[in-house]
Amino acid sequence: MKRKSLGFILADTLYIAMMTLPVLAGLILKILTKPASEGISVTGAQIYFTLPLPIQSLPVTESQINSLIVMITALGICLFLTHGLKTRNISRRQHLVEWAVEKVDAMTLDSMGEYFKGFPPFIMSILLLSALSSLLSLFGLYPPTSDINIVAGWAILVFALITYYKFKCGPLGYVKSFCDPPLLAPLNVISEVATPISMAFRHYGNVLSGSVIGVLIATGLQGLSKIVLGWLPGFFGEFPFLQIGLPAVLSIYFDVFSGCLQAYIFAMLTMMYVSGAFNADEYFARKNKKIKN
Amino acid sequence: MQTLEVISVNLWQTLISLLNLVVLFLIVKHFLYKPVKNVLAKRQAELEEHYTTAEKAQADAEADRLAWEEKLSGANAEADAILQNATELAHNRGDAIVSEAREKADGIVRVAQNEAELERRRATEGIKREIVEVSGAIAEKMLEREVNVEDHRSLIDSFIENIGESDE
Repeated sequence: MKRKSLGFILADTLYIAMMTLPVLAGLILKILTKPASEGISVTGAQIYFTLPLPIQSLPVTESQINSLIVMITALGICLFLTHGLKTRNISRRQHLVEWAVEKVDAMTLDSMGEYFKGFPPFIMSILLLSALSSLLSLFGLYPPTSDINIVAGWAILVFALITYYKFKCGPLGYVKSFCDPPLLAPLNVISEVATPISMAFRHYGNVLSGSVIGVLIATGLQGLSKIVLGWLPGFFGEFPFLQIGLPAVLSIYFDVFSGCLQAYIFAMLTMMYVSGAFNADEYFARKNKKIKN
Repeated sequence: MQTLEVISVNLWQTLISLLNLVVLFLIVKHFLYKPVKNVLAKRQAELEEHYTTAEKAQADAEADRLAWEEKLSGANAEADAILQNATELAHNRGDAIVSEAREKADGIVRVAQNEAELERRRATEGIKREIVEVSGAIAEKMLEREVNVEDHRSLIDSFIENIGESDE
């Protein structure tokens, strides 16, 4: 095997640092600022400071900071995976990134069709952002996806895309899309508005409920530990031995599985809604007519 | 330290999150998709190139094979022709040599015969002369007078001719 050059190793180290250091910094920040909690407390993100802005002041919270961490980590992952791409004798990381790219391409082609060729990077970024955000809870950090504002932002972007593709057939086409059976037009409008809300709440609710259940189980196990092992003297009576084990197994489900599943679902719904909003037949008919005129 | 409510909608946070997704989209597009797509396209192009060169090489090899086969069969015929020519030439040359040798031998034999004939004639001539002289001396003695050989040459000659004829 060919020895890698020093520059290559240095760049690799930089990218790995980009992937890991933000998470580490977030952990340190959390340890420094988190007050010791007593009992069960299900709260939103911690507010570090508040910026006065028009309409509504902006509280800079854990979810903001952690979103930034996720962004930097994602950038590090992108740079690391695409570092040293070759056409033959490819490395393991290139296998991984090619596999991911081809998978997302195939997924997008399957559910959206030929017209949406520019969408795979968008779908990939949704998957990356959502999954990494949810996986932050593995490190004990606050997952930004359990903040409704974060997910709502993505859902609103998806809603904007849906509207954009509905307008591709002209303003009249946009109005017509609600009057499929004309009687149900009000319901269609409601369901249109409900789309981003349901997307946001689905994602947010799943991740938050995972955290809540985690807290509940941990607290419950602490209480149980006190009841069962409380008679032991000193340290053994105080230490919540029963908290070891079960929360980890639950974390595999709620943090890893649920987090990745929600990312997949969000991406899937995005593709379905956006491609469903686009009436390809009518669009091409209009285009042809325009060319003829 | 304060915390947010579990559900608290904030316009700016939402907007920031939206922009975050847009920025990440740009990052993924530029830093992940572009290089990977580039390398995939490059590999595809390389593969195509390899295929075309391989096909070309195969076609070339096939053409070469055919050409060589043709040449080989041509060479066989050529070798046959050369051999035939050479045989014919050798045949002709051998014939020529043999006939020349025969001619030469004939010439030698003829010369030898001629020489032998000449020798014989010379010998005959010598003998004749001696006989003339001897017979002249004998006749001089017998007649006791000098016979003029010059005078009687014709006489003696005819005599000897007669002897020779009666001898032969």
